[in-house]
Formats: sequence, structure tokens, C-alpha cells
Amino acid sequence: MSAELPPELANMQQDEEGDIIMNPIRERNPLVTAAMGIVPGLGHFYIGRPVAGILYLISGIFMVLLILWVGAQAEFDPFGQMFARDVERYLGIALLQYLLIAFAVLFWVWQAAAAALKTAGRRRAAPVVGAVALIGFTYLLGFQATEVDLEKFITEFPDTFRIFTLIIWPWEQAVQRDEILLTAQTNWLTPCAGDPPEQTREGDTWITLDPACGEIAAFSLEEARVVPGTQLTATGSGFDPGVPVELWWILQSTDPDVPEEEVEDPETPEGAPEVEGFIPNLLVNIVPPPPEEEEEIIDVDAVAGFASHPPVYNADPRIGTLANPEDFEDGQTGSIEIIPNEEGMFEVTFGAPQSLPTPDEGPYTYVWQARQTEALSAPRISDDFRLAVDRMVVTIFQALMATSLGIIFAVPVSFLAARNLMFDNPITRIIYYVVRFLLNVVRSIEPIIWGVIAIAWVGLGPFAGVMALMIHTIAALGKLYSESIESIDAGPIEAITATGATRLQTILFAIVPQIVPPYISFTLYRWDINVRMSTIIGFVGGGGIGQILFQWINQSRWGSAGMAVWLIAITVSVLDYASSELRKRFV
Amino acid sequence: MLEIKNLTKVYDTGTVALKDVTCTIPDGSFTVVIGLSGSGKSTMLRCINRLIDPTDGQIIFDGQDITAARGEELRKIRREIGMIFQHFNLVRRSTVLTNVLSGRLGYVNPAMSLFNRFPQEDRDRALEALEQVGLDDKAYNRADALSGGQQQRVGIARALMQRPKMILADEPVASLDPVLAHSIMEYLEKLNQEQGITILCSLHYLDLVQRYSTNVIGLRRGRLVYQGTNEDIRNLTDADFKDIYGEQAVRIGTGSITG
Ligand SMILES: Nc1ncnc2c1ncn2[C@@H]1O[C@H](COP(=O)(O)OP(=O)(O)OP(=O)(O)O)[C@@H](O)[C@H]1O
Ligand SMILES: [Mg+2]
Repeated sequence: MSAELPPELANMQQDEEGDIIMNPIRERNPLVTAAMGIVPGLGHFYIGRPVAGILYLISGIFMVLLILWVGAQAEFDPFGQMFARDVERYLGIALLQYLLIAFAVLFWVWQAAAAALKTAGRRRAAPVVGAVALIGFTYLLGFQATEVDLEKFITEFPDTFRIFTLIIWPWEQAVQRDEILLTAQTNWLTPCAGDPPEQTREGDTWITLDPACGEIAAFSLEEARVVPGTQLTATGSGFDPGVPVELWWILQSTDPDVPEEEVEDPETPEGAPEVEGFIPNLLVNIVPPPPEEEEEIIDVDAVAGFASHPPVYNADPRIGTLANPEDFEDGQTGSIEIIPNEEGMFEVTFGAPQSLPTPDEGPYTYVWQARQTEALSAPRISDDFRLAVDRMVVTIFQALMATSLGIIFAVPVSFLAARNLMFDNPITRIIYYVVRFLLNVVRSIEPIIWGVIAIAWVGLGPFAGVMALMIHTIAALGKLYSESIESIDAGPIEAITATGATRLQTILFAIVPQIVPPYISFTLYRWDINVRMSTIIGFVGGGGIGQILFQWINQSRWGSAGMAVWLIAITVSVLDYASSELRKRFV
Repeated sequence: MLEIKNLTKVYDTGTVALKDVTCTIPDGSFTVVIGLSGSGKSTMLRCINRLIDPTDGQIIFDGQDITAARGEELRKIRREIGMIFQHFNLVRRSTVLTNVLSGRLGYVNPAMSLFNRFPQEDRDRALEALEQVGLDDKAYNRADALSGGQQQRVGIARALMQRPKMILADEPVASLDPVLAHSIMEYLEKLNQEQGITILCSLHYLDLVQRYSTNVIGLRRGRLVYQGTNEDIRNLTDADFKDIYGEQAVRIGTGSITG
């Protein structure tokens, strides 16, 4: 295996690859070599393998730094609370650290032994052990760094399964039935000043409050408790017997700064009356009647502890009506249902609730509204489904715009980035390098990052998504296009040049016909990617279906999210199929 | 008349492809360049229409210095010199007619040509040129649907569109079978004899040289080693042959080359 050495090197030794070893190893004492191995790599230096020595030294330093770094991960925030998770994590890290140290020691012994064994004349010193140690070290670290937690696969499964089923089959969400409401309302003044609003009992359906003015509940700083509001008795008539009635409490705006129209809120319950001049959706909680109460007219006064527990205001209309009084006691966030008697009447007494923001100057007029769901409308396509389809269309157009705008820029750029067009001349050669560099930089930044940049640039919305995709498309297509220019046949270029054509004519007659098929093919391919990417770009605020999907996921509205996922899957696969079919015709 | 004076070409790689070549190609001649592969034939032809920039020397065509020409001036010279290639160099995806019409690019209004618009006169002339090479029925076929011999005829038609004073042909028949080779050479000969177009052609087969050339130039390792007429070629001596093709070259047959 060893080649014949020139005479001046005759006393040198060669290793199995024929490299010359600076110090013939047999002259060294294996014990000395092993001792030198206390410093990683020194043993190898000693036996005349400086490169191996340096590698061992670097590996050793690297391992020590890693062990220190992993140790640093275990130090949790001393001011924060220590949760069970942290304890687990701490133990995990400690264990990992021990394992890493074990590996490091193994490595250390191994490198010293390897050097010593080489001195002793055994040349292939267990490289497998070293490789296994290093691989094990790497994977242990990877396992920790990515917080792999296999247990969660099992423990978290039931919850996930429920969500999963909603996503797999979300179509119940695609239909909705609207509530047809029967309402009655009256005005109420706080605090009492001047004439209280008249409480009339007119029409088929009505509601009155007694007294017609009073104090609302308020948090008192001095007493550190909620001071209950005036006791009110609401009486209503003309409702459907036995069907629950909800009581709503709405501040009538007296402030000209408060916008007249309702704030656009997708959460507004379907069919909520659009009453002008109201701050919307303050839902009242009414202390529940005792479950055993059989009387037709519910007297809430009878509930023990009422005075010290005034109803609290609830700003979250999503909670809706709670069927069970116990729920109210737990959470204090629900409202209750009042069941009218056989004549469609009810009477209920309760403390005026607290209002946020508490009006500090008055008087204010509140509207009290009793709502009863009379019936459900016929099923119709749900608003969420419409929204999802609408956004899907936006997304497809986003992809279309991004691809088209991208092409417009990518085509000229691709000519500047084509080696065969730009290399004859030093100036164009510089342009080529600059353009190539820019393309590589832009391409290496993911569209989603461009999305964040675009949002900072043009603001939230679909245009930001289009811009992000466009920028990435220019770079990606510019590269692909320029490569297809580079791979064209140079013969026609020569031939056309030889006819006395200008450079532009040469491009149009010799290059364009050759690059049209690959350009079309690459463009379709990119359009495909852009459709897929535009569904994601919304997650950072780039508009389209991604944005609404992200919102729904955050609100745990899995059914609606599932519809969005389905729409994305359907659209992407249809377009995928279409573009691959189209591409087949051009290649 | 084309005068080549002290033409030298050194490629970026350091290869000296032409070394101090001086010769004259008379108007109306059918001049053939011979030489071994790598002797610099293609380089010489490409220097003439400046597909390659010579390193040194001068090329004078009808009194104009090609080597000094730039931009517009260069394009005007190029359009008077047609070129046909070993691999035809047609735009394969374009139609035959478009390929032929592209021979007019040096003459037409550049703005119009960008939209593939050519004057009716040029279109008529293109069909005429195709008729001349016997391909008028293929005008609307795609170029890559044609056989090699047909493609080379399209190449000739394209060169003809330039109304050239001279045609450079770099091994025009090297990728064709012998029968087709003769037919292509006959077209060139016809152009040379009937229209008085000067032909400068590189060839590998001595029988073709003998059959079609009026003048012959021999290159060896970038140097001009032989210059003679058709008559001389018929009486090519062994010494001349070895000059061109090297000491080790063996001639097949004796005396003159059959052809
Ligand atoms: N673009 C180039 N860059 C560098 N060297 C080149 C280039 N083109 C040709 N050469 C070299 O120049 C020399 C002459 O080449 P040329 O193509 O002119 O020969 P030729 O006589 O046409 O050969 P053939 O009969 O094979 O076509 C060869 O040594 C070749 O390797
Ligand atoms: Mg050649």
C-alpha cells in the first residue's frame, strides 16, 4: 500500500493511506502517550498527528461548552413560581448533564487510548467507539433541545381527539339556524335625577322596571367590596310560556364621541337587535332561583346571600345562557334564564348590576331588554362558511397576483442572472454576480418572514401577503428562469447574431423561443407553491384564509378552523392537479 | 474581397488557435479551409464575422476593417456575410418561415421585428428562398420537425435572406450522410456560380474539397500551411499532404483523391 518514498524521506513512516507521519510512532512509549492524552489531542500531537490532535482538542472544548450550556438551561427564573413542569425539566436536564458528562469522559479516555494504541503499533484504534459516542452525544442533546416529550403523545390524546374529530368533519358548522327573537325593552335611569323614565305596559309584549331609576352596583375602594345596586323588579308580559327569557342591559350612549353604529364584531350573537346608540352587548347576570322553587313568579330575594353577592356584569356575550344555576355559582360569569309562566308573564327581583366602565357622572340611561328565542329559522349556509369561502377566493387571487407580479420582475432579472448572457463583458459580469447574490439572499428568507416585513411596510391585509409572496417569487423564479436560460442551446444565438441582429432581437428570436416552455412550466410550479404559501402567509397577518384560520384556532373554534383546513386542502389539491396537467402539455 | 492580415487568436484558456494567418479570399471564389480537427478552422471563420474577437491582426472585407468595427457598423458588415453551421443552429421551436425570416433581422426596423412583424416583401422573399432550397411546402412546420438535410437547407435559406456577398460555412455537411452532403454542397455551388456569392467553407472530406472548391487554404495548429487552387489540390503532393495533416498522416489512395 505504501508507495516508494524518495530517498530524503526514506526514514519517514507512512500510515495506511500513504501519508507521511512526522514522528515515527514506534519510537514513543505508549504509557507516555496515554499520559499526554489527559489534555485531549495532546497524545496525538505527540505521536505526530497534529490535525487529529487539533480535532480532538476542539471536540473536547466543544463538549465542555455544551455541558455548561445545558447546565445553564436548568436555572429557572428565581422570581417565578416553580411548577411541576419545571421540576420535571430540571430533573431531565440534570440527567442529561450526567449522560453528557459520561459521554465526555468516554470520549476523553478513548482519545487517549487511541493515541496510546497507535504507539503500541495497533493502527486502527476503535474508531467505531468514538463515532458511536459522538452520535449518541448529538442525539441526546437534540432530544433535550427540541423538548421531545413522548409521554404527551398519550396523555394529551383524548383532548386532541375531540378537536381532531371537529377538524376532520367540520361540516355541521357549515349550516346554521338563526334565532328569531321576541323582544321588549324599557329605559332605566341611574342615578335618580329628574323624571325617571316612564314604565309603560303597552303593546303585546312589554317589560317594566320598578323602581324606574336607582344606583348601579359599584366597587368601593374604601370598603374594598362591591356595594350592591338598587333592588329592581322586572315584570314582563306577552312572552311564550315556558321558553327561557334573557335579560340584556345596555348603556345608551349620551357621549357624542361614542360611535353611533355598532362596532363590527363577528361575535355578535346572531339576530341580536341592532339598536342604535347603544354600547353593545352588556349581558346581565341574574341571581338564579333556587332549583326547587316551584312558584310561577320567581322571587330572587328568597335566595340566601343575595345582598352580598350582587350580579356581576359580563362583557363576554359568547358565554350565552347557562342552563344550570350551579354554573353561575362557580363562575359568576353567566346569565340565567327566566321562564315565563303559562300566561307568558314573569317577575324577577335582583340587584342592579355593576357596569364597566362605571360612569362617574350621570345620569345615564340604560336600556333593559328581554329577549326570547321564539323559533329557529330554516337552516342556511353559515356565516363562518361564507367567510371561509370568501377568504379562500381572496387567497387564490393573492397567489395569482403574487405570481403575475413576480413574473413581471423575474423575467428581466433572469436575463441579468444568466451566466451565458452576462459573462462576455466585465461590467455585465459584475451585474451578474450582484444579481445572483441578491437572488440567493432573498430566496433564502422564507416567505413568512417576508410577510412580517411586508406587514411592517404596507400594513396588515391581503396586499402584504401578495407582496411577501411576490418578493420570494421574484427571487425563486429569477433563479429558475436564469438557469433555464443558461441551459439553452447557444447555436441559435450565434446564428441570429451572425445575421446582424441587435442584442434585443437576438434575445427575442434566439432565446425567447427556447425558454418559453421551461418558463411556463416553472411559473405553473411556482403558482402552485404560491397558493400553498398564501394559505400560510395569513398566519402572520397577510390576509386570506390563513388569517381567519389563525383567528379561529386561537379562539378554539375548531369546527370553523376545520372548514378552513378542508377548503385549503381542496383548493390546493385541485390547483396542484390542474397545474401538473398543464405542465405536462408544455414539457 | 476578403483580406486576412496577421490574424492571431489566443483564447482565454491560453490556447493559440490562430497564429499570424495572412491570406486573401478572392470575390466569387469557393474557398475551402482544410485542416485537422483543432487546427483553427472554426476559429478563423468566426473571427471573420466577429462571433469571436481576434486577439491581433486585421480582417478587411470590401475595404471595411471588420476588426475595428463596433455596434451598428459591425451589424451592417455582419448582415452582408451569411453563415451556415454544422449543427444548423436553427431555432428549433420556431417555424421554418420564422427561422428564414430571422435572416432579415439586420435589415428590418428593429421595433417591428420585436413583434415578429416583417414587411410583406420579406415574407415573399422568404418563401422564394425556401422554394430555392425546395422546402416551400414546409414553411409553417416547426424547424425541429425537419430532417437534418432539410434543416441545413433552411439554414442556407436563412443565409440567403441576408442577400450576402459572402457565405461562411463551418463544416456544413459534417453531420449529414454523403448523399445529403453532396446535395447541400450543390446548393452552395449553385449560389456561388449563379449569384456570385463568395463561399468560405471548412470541410473534412478531400473528395468534397476537390469536387467543389476553387481555392483551398490549409491550416495546421493555427498556422497557414497551404494555399492553392482546385487544380493544385488535384495534384496535391505527399509533402503538401503531410504539411497539412501532419507527419503521421497516411493518405488513402494514391496520387489524386477520388471524388
Ligand atoms: N471557446 C474556446 N475557448 C478556448 N479554446 C477554444 C475555444 N474554442 C476552440 N478552442 C481551441 O482552439 C483550437 C482551435 O479550435 P477550432 O474549433 O477553431 O478548431 P477546428 O479546426 O474548427 O476543429 P474541428 O475540425 O474539430 O471543428 C482548439 O485547440 C480548441 O481546443
Ligand atoms: Mg470546428
